[in-house]
Amino acid sequence: MTSTAQELHPAPVLEPGRTILELRGLEKRYPGTHALKPVDLAFKSGEIHAIVGENGAGKSTLIKLLTGVMPRTSGEITWEGQPAALATPHEAMALGINAVHQEVVLCRHLTVAANMFLGEENSRFGILQQRAMVRQAQTIIDDLGFDLPAHVTLGDLTIGQQQLIAAARATVRGTKFLIFDEPTAYLTRKEADQLFTLIRRLKGEGVTIIYISHRMEEVFELADRVSVLRDGTLVGTRNIAETNDAELVKMMINRSIEQVYHKEHFTPGAALIEARNLSGKGFENVSMTVRAGEIVGLYGLIGAGRSEFVTTLYGRHRKSAGQILWEGKEVQVNSEHDAIKLGMALAPESRRDQGLCLNLPVGFNLNLPIYKRISNNLLISSTQEKTQADRQIADLRIKTPTRGALASSLSGGNQQKIVIGKWLAHGAKLFIFDEPTVGVDVGTKAEIYRLFGALLSKGAGIILISSYLTEVYELADTLHVFRRGKLVATHGFHAASHEDILTQALAEKQEKLGGQI
Amino acid sequence: MSTEAIPVEKPKRNYNVLFGLTLLALLVLLWILLSVATTSFASANNMANLLRQGSMIAIMAVGQTFVIITGGIDLSVGAVVGFATVVVAMMINAGFPIWLAILVTLLVGVAIGMFHGFGIVKMGLPPFIITLATLTSLRGIGLLMTNGNSININSDTFTAFSRNSFIGIPNLFWMVILVGIPAYIFLHHSRWGRYLFSVGSNAEASRLSGVNVQRTIYMAYTLSGLCAAFVGVLLAARIGIGNPTQAEGWELQAIASSVIGGTSLFGAVGSVHGPLLGAFILATINNGANLLNVNSFWQRIITGALIIIIVYFDGLRRRGK
Ligand SMILES: Nc1ncnc2c1ncn2[C@@H]1O[C@H](COP(=O)(O)OP(=O)(O)OP(=O)(O)O)[C@@H](O)[C@H]1O
Ligand SMILES: [Mg+2]
Repeated sequence: MTSTAQELHPAPVLEPGRTILELRGLEKRYPGTHALKPVDLAFKSGEIHAIVGENGAGKSTLIKLLTGVMPRTSGEITWEGQPAALATPHEAMALGINAVHQEVVLCRHLTVAANMFLGEENSRFGILQQRAMVRQAQTIIDDLGFDLPAHVTLGDLTIGQQQLIAAARATVRGTKFLIFDEPTAYLTRKEADQLFTLIRRLKGEGVTIIYISHRMEEVFELADRVSVLRDGTLVGTRNIAETNDAELVKMMINRSIEQVYHKEHFTPGAALIEARNLSGKGFENVSMTVRAGEIVGLYGLIGAGRSEFVTTLYGRHRKSAGQILWEGKEVQVNSEHDAIKLGMALAPESRRDQGLCLNLPVGFNLNLPIYKRISNNLLISSTQEKTQADRQIADLRIKTPTRGALASSLSGGNQQKIVIGKWLAHGAKLFIFDEPTVGVDVGTKAEIYRLFGALLSKGAGIILISSYLTEVYELADTLHVFRRGKLVATHGFHAASHEDILTQALAEKQEKLGGQI
Repeated sequence: MSTEAIPVEKPKRNYNVLFGLTLLALLVLLWILLSVATTSFASANNMANLLRQGSMIAIMAVGQTFVIITGGIDLSVGAVVGFATVVVAMMINAGFPIWLAILVTLLVGVAIGMFHGFGIVKMGLPPFIITLATLTSLRGIGLLMTNGNSININSDTFTAFSRNSFIGIPNLFWMVILVGIPAYIFLHHSRWGRYLFSVGSNAEASRLSGVNVQRTIYMAYTLSGLCAAFVGVLLAARIGIGNPTQAEGWELQAIASSVIGGTSLFGAVGSVHGPLLGAFILATINNGANLLNVNSFWQRIITGALIIIIVYFDGLRRRGK
């Protein structure tokens, strides 16, 4: 058997089935960006095909072309041997191609059930069968093993739960080909396990899966084959059994990384902030201290109250009881403004809703917190505005044609870099990073962790929230575990095992956790 | 990773300028066409008239644009103009010095704007609703104050101002420059201008970045109220009477000017020069249609069609950029 893909890539390629979808010379240009240079790739039916690559490598663009969300610039797509135009999402769905996109694209104001059947509503004589739809949706959700109600409004769920609903939605549409674009970015380990079970089950049913992720261990756990994109070019495809972490990273970024989790230990200085028996919406009776030069990690499931806790410290929400001390003195933080004046900075968890002004330029977003500093009483210094923005773009390697490009035109990971980057020039003393590396590629992650070190060395303190245990485990000097709004355990650096921490966060025995978390 | 050099040019700014130039070209084209088509259009008298009429809408459109950039809308401005003519007329007739009458009228505009800010920020009312409420009640209050009559202003110094010119250009047009230049600096070169954009784009993200969202909203509506009250003073001077029912429908003209000038009703997109040009384009169309004896009903239809066409092409180019 010969195929173009095999000739191009000498590594013998496993054949789980016939070719279901083939791309020849697929190309996409955005104004100012050549996002996808001609790509040849073939997907075999029933395989799980991972796609990895740096932020802005073109992964999401590829998916958008396959699902008809955007028109391609040139190239051919063959579906089961027939040329396919794939000009509209409708056409893609009719063929059985579905996707769970990187950013949840569902209607937040509708119920879970309404979202699941959106566009394929169940109606009789033009009247929606609402109750029947809720019942059906609930059956599907239960069947998938997700512990979620079908009648609630989608917006009331966490981003992770919404992502699960998006996955459930995609499975009910006669899917033959299902694409996941960084599905686990906002999922807890438990939710991720549920998703993996679902993916394996779909594979068992003969569905072809594309799986995009920045987490190598997931790729190795799930995939049969893996393709690497770099700068819009396909660097290669490998059978998963014949490659390893280091090789993939090398292919992705064209250099090797010795150490992702770059940890420097500093002697902690004076206390910056202290919470004493603090309670508020979503958490109660939390006490902790953050000192200069240390990273305090908060681990827990999404919804465990960590984000609510830090946003209360930051003045976004009112505390209901307890005290906040800043540098040893009790303070009232009534607004974000107060918090920023004291010297806090918050990079929030949802870049779309809280982090970015999407329809404004990259440079604007980066400068937003510091406009006061870079202007005199009246005017903004336009030179400073330029140099500050360009410095962050260079430091964080934000991939954008210019600082004037709109934030919405950047890839997901690059948008995340803006959320972090806008605080780096601000000169805060306490940095709160809520899921800072969601969707960020491995090279940039290493870069961000190095930046943490630089902040600490200047005497700053950091609160790091992550649902990705390895991250907090490797970086936090003090690790607090949250469960259902309470602080349930505290550990020093590497003082407890992954399993113990997970057990504390879940408070139930996890039978199957696997080696890598 | 290929770290590309970061080019220095600013596509957004270029785009703004380009769009402004297109509008200017459209305006000039209209002027040339009308000068050819009619004998009276290019006359000094008619041009002065056109500038006077356009100036008032232009100033309102600037204030309106600030509000629209934050993602809001100010439907009250026409009513504020009418109300302001009453306030300034009553005060002048009551013997107060002109400067004081003007100052108080402007402060009334500020107060109305603050009230809108209060309704939106503190009471959580949608901008559409609170400014719609002010629109009807201000006309009512004005009618109560005047018993439904017009007030003839008995100061010639006051009314002369808007009829006079300075170096050949009507005073009213100088007022556009007086408002336009600070407005331009404010919107495009000060941090408060940036905050208007950021609030219009994503209020929550702005808040978390330390922007005082509430104050920004207060500011936008206050400036809109102030501009409208100022136009009220100019209008009272121009026609010499105070009457609360004047300037009927001007809010729609102000919004139309703003939108023709490239402001997005979704917020976060807009400029100062765009609405100014938009206002004069509208004024030219009305003026030209009058001279060509086009039925005034048709004028409204043409205006509507023009809004659709200009905004459609603007949207096309924005997307195609
Ligand atoms: N709508 C758009 N307009 C202009 N450029 C775009 C647009 N969408 C994406 N791009 C550019 O195309 C390139 C590829 O983006 P893409 O979203 O495919 O990256 P990705 O591999 O999915 O990255 P990430 O891991 O960060 O999600 C990036 O340089 C991005 O800036
Ligand atoms: Mg992506």
